[in-house]
Amino acid sequence: MKTAVPARPHAALLFVSIAPLVASCGFEPSAAPRSYELDASTIEALDGYPDVQGQIRGALAMLYGTPQEPRYMVTGRWLDDGYDPNYPRYAAADGGSGAFDDAQLDALQADNERRFSKQLALLEAKRFEEVRVRRMPELDAYWRDVLGRSEELGDGFADQARRTFVEYYPTLSESAELYRRQCLHCHGNSGGGDGPTAASLSPRPRDYRRGIFKFTAVKDKARPRREDLLRILTEGVNGTAMPSFRRFSDAQLHGLIDYVMLLSKRGESERLLVAGFEADEVLTAEMVVETYMEVEDKWRAAEDYFVAFDGVIPEPTPAMIARGRALFEDDARGGCAKCHGVSGRGDGDSAYKDPEHTISAYDDDWGHPIFPRNLVGGIFRGGKRPIDIYRRIYSGINGTPMPAVGESTGADGERLLDDDAMWALVHYVRSLSERPDGFGLVPIAHVARSERGDTDASAKHEGPDPVGQGGAGR
Amino acid sequence: MITRLVATVLLLLVPVLGVWTFVTAPANGWWMPPTVSTFGPDIDYLFYLILWMVAFFFVLTEAILVYSVFVYSRKRADKATFSHGNHKLELLWTGIPAALLLVIAFSQMGTWAKIKFRGNIPEGEPLAHVWASQFDWRFQYAGADGVFGTMDDIENPFEFVVPVGEDVLFNLHSRDVLHSFSVLEFRLKQDAVPGMSIPVWFNCRETGSYELICMELCGWGHYKMNGRVRVVTREEYDAWITEKQADLMSNGMEERS
Repeated sequence: MKTAVPARPHAALLFVSIAPLVASCGFEPSAAPRSYELDASTIEALDGYPDVQGQIRGALAMLYGTPQEPRYMVTGRWLDDGYDPNYPRYAAADGGSGAFDDAQLDALQADNERRFSKQLALLEAKRFEEVRVRRMPELDAYWRDVLGRSEELGDGFADQARRTFVEYYPTLSESAELYRRQCLHCHGNSGGGDGPTAASLSPRPRDYRRGIFKFTAVKDKARPRREDLLRILTEGVNGTAMPSFRRFSDAQLHGLIDYVMLLSKRGESERLLVAGFEADEVLTAEMVVETYMEVEDKWRAAEDYFVAFDGVIPEPTPAMIARGRALFEDDARGGCAKCHGVSGRGDGDSAYKDPEHTISAYDDDWGHPIFPRNLVGGIFRGGKRPIDIYRRIYSGINGTPMPAVGESTGADGERLLDDDAMWALVHYVRSLSERPDGFGLVPIAHVARSERGDTDASAKHEGPDPVGQGGAGR
Repeated sequence: MITRLVATVLLLLVPVLGVWTFVTAPANGWWMPPTVSTFGPDIDYLFYLILWMVAFFFVLTEAILVYSVFVYSRKRADKATFSHGNHKLELLWTGIPAALLLVIAFSQMGTWAKIKFRGNIPEGEPLAHVWASQFDWRFQYAGADGVFGTMDDIENPFEFVVPVGEDVLFNLHSRDVLHSFSVLEFRLKQDAVPGMSIPVWFNCRETGSYELICMELCGWGHYKMNGRVRVVTREEYDAWITEKQADLMSNGMEERS
């Protein structure tokens, strides 16, 4: 009698069970995309001009490189000045972009010494062959190269070896790789906020391509400063899916910022080129280079728009908070209640089209409906420090209907809100989410101890906070 | 004959590789990191108790299996014989596991009570409120006035800074879905449940940085939901709090580059 059992069932079983394990070893994410995509608005605007689309695509690749090899083109003027945005670590006249001063470079170096303490200890012990950086393949390859030239370097080798690690700063392509691993799934290959996980998020991830960033320390809708982007990376954006990325070293975070800036500049250049073409119906090489330099200059000027408060922040006294409340509700001065509502819950009538407050009256610059922040919830995306709120009120929130009132003046030419009034508003806004009684929930431990034998009755107090600590708000 | 040998050897590989994996794991860095919390050794004791029980019965049953396959294999043409079973044996293999389960159940009671019972939680106000959300951790401290929910509260993302050698009590919250606060070195794991404020405590005996991992699959970003517990001396902790307070009241001028 014949059976259907294979002659060697065990071997087959073994193979079936081990094959997936073997296959999953050494798994690498798929390679970098070959090119950046054009924005949907570009394709729409240039519908019927496939040649121009191709030209813009080519021009942008020439100016900013590709995802595999992102790289700024260095123009003649930059070459003369010694300016090169590809190397942020070097001074602006020294073949770099001068992103850091000496103190910042020292801090970067100190952080590298912490991060690479294992490698540096091995170098110290002269166990050069054991020094590896498996998680950073480019740095590892560079180190192998230095090691391979040890004889040629002679006495300089020890110094060169140490500098390999303490002066580590990622290249744009290394940062692009880190971006692909950590950021792309939300922010997209071209920084359009259109990665695969973006669709499931509210609020949507930032689209960098307009150069507009919401939470910065600059006014007049200027480009963000490096420090502003770093703050977002280290603090995260509370109430959104943007987490803190403190697990990475300072050098890696600055590398990510370099790459985000490149994506942002690329997107902005794209929009300007399309606008220029629509105006003149031609696209010349001069236009391309001029646009490129214009965008770069905007970013270089960011520091000129810095906003801070040069003085001591006044104490949040009850009188101060009462004054803030009056300003908040005064339509002629603060005017906050128009959108944020008298209660501060984001229920002011002018923010909505309908009396039921379901349809937003405004879209943000990215075309998404936008609702005023519920200030009672205690979550402030741009940070909850007084200076953070001050900046939101002073400079507005770029890309949204939140206006800049810090420098607006009345009919008499005086500032509508002087420094004291600004801080009164800030303190009032911060006081809205104050809730010292029963913060979060009643700590159960204390109930159990203080009312022993009555835990069931006290458990009834432990409902969720009615004013909503949780929730991202709108 | 060859089939029988191959089958036996393959089967034998299971216990041999299984035991080998465990024996070599610590040398390969696959084992649990050494514990640094006060209740860690209690958890480890239970872990090893159960591990040794499981190891003993694993080896025993595998040995019987391998032996049976080798000795009792028959040619395919042989007919199977019907057997009704053995009452005494069945009593034995029900009774022994039941007794072992009771041993485990009773030996863990004290440890569970010590760590999780509300009555045994350290006295006093919590050091912090810990907020889990998709996909990060935020740590809220009471600030100078010692009261939570006021304007001078300090919020820190990613890093939970705590003093060494002290009972650290915190309340765990979730803003959205289930998360789990887990630090391997502390042998501590506690789910965060939306709408609940769960008191959790630990006492770490050594300064250092320990990885905080979300141990509950919480969505597509679960893999990147980690944080850090930095255990420092009391002086360093106080200095850190002072520094955070200064940052909170900053006028922003030092951010100029």
